[in-house]
Amino acid sequence: MNMLNLAKKLEGIHTIDTMAETLGIKISTAIKLVSKLRKEGYLKNSGGGKQVRFYKITPEKNVEIGNPGLYDIINKYSRIKIVSSHVNRIMNKKLTTEEALIRAVKTNDIRIIIASLELFNHIKNWSLLSKLAEQEGLGRKIGALYDAARTIIKVRRMDRRIRNKLLKSKVKNRFIISQIKSKDMGEIEKIWNVYLPFNKADLMRYKE
Amino acid sequence: MINLNDQQSLFNIIGKKLKRKMSCFVIGGSAMMYYNAKTTTKDVGIVFDNKNDFDDFLKVLKEINFEPKNPEMLYPRKENKPALMERGQERIDIFCKEIICFKLSETMINRVKMIYEYDNIIINVVSPEDIILLKSATERAGDRIDAAELIERFNIKWNIIVEEAMHQTELDKPLFVVFLYEFLLELKDDFKADIPEDVLKELLRMSEREMVKRLKRKKGFVK
Repeated sequence: MNMLNLAKKLEGIHTIDTMAETLGIKISTAIKLVSKLRKEGYLKNSGGGKQVRFYKITPEKNVEIGNPGLYDIINKYSRIKIVSSHVNRIMNKKLTTEEALIRAVKTNDIRIIIASLELFNHIKNWSLLSKLAEQEGLGRKIGALYDAARTIIKVRRMDRRIRNKLLKSKVKNRFIISQIKSKDMGEIEKIWNVYLPFNKADLMRYKE
Repeated sequence: MINLNDQQSLFNIIGKKLKRKMSCFVIGGSAMMYYNAKTTTKDVGIVFDNKNDFDDFLKVLKEINFEPKNPEMLYPRKENKPALMERGQERIDIFCKEIICFKLSETMINRVKMIYEYDNIIINVVSPEDIILLKSATERAGDRIDAAELIERFNIKWNIIVEEAMHQTELDKPLFVVFLYEFLLELKDDFKADIPEDVLKELLRMSEREMVKRLKRKKGFVK
């Protein structure tokens, strides 16, 4: 069977069962096809272990170049995963978690911001984070998101000096996402003088 | 001919030379190389959605010894021609907002499939559907072969092609749908490309409607 035509027919996300059902073949045959599709570069798998194994099949054999971008970093470190409509790769340098966190806040996308909260656990250079936040005018927003992250997940302690520096930073726009305020995180919002774009319930996905 | 490595080194140099971050879209053969659908291309096709970025990009190309060429040779009697820049074997076609009879639209921007960041230049790779649409607009030698190759290799979402053609007519590019219909018809007849019949019928219906509108407008103008 031509693997390109098979990849075209199966384009999308599958499990072994859905593959077998779509093609009307036995599970054992589907497993063999998975191996052939992977060899030719039309299939990538995710999950496994306790989770269901998913196979992403696409006829596009994209060239893999560069270093991981924002979505790759979030998906590597966060338990909340992001499915992006496009591939994002960084050439010539590696994106640090500090830079990734700043980029996540700049997207103004609630899903990305929530998923990126776990990046606080992988910050190695707090002064770099504070410097980048200040450059982008996000100092207080980063501080508020850090406090919000601490309400739901175990996060490394931020250096006291960095916290004070962030608290002193200027704020141009109090909204992280335009016109969206939290209903039950008033205390954090008061400390940092910015509005958080989510409620406690939105963060419960970290506990699932 | 330029391969993906040459193209990458070129973007690396440009990205380092640029003084501020800017974003552009790669189209045609350059985009196909990122999809592994082509190994080399005659020219790097780039589109900017902003005149300032376009101007700064040209300045940097001049700094690295690219020279402007007359686009009339490659795009005879066509509107919205690109700025052609050449350095030895390397050629870059740079468009600003419009690509011949096609307008860079929001819908097309939203369909971008890959984003690569080379220091200060962010390269957005347009979707295979948009590469076909743009190939029908530029209509150079080799464009038909490339489009046929894309149809063969990918699951082309034909509804996107029809919707974008309609969108272009709304963006004041009424003739695009006519060119697209002819382009796809030739692909089907000459290259035996697998294009659904109902897509061609729909495009024909849209082309006729646009032609009638154009004729009526012309008549009114003569009176």
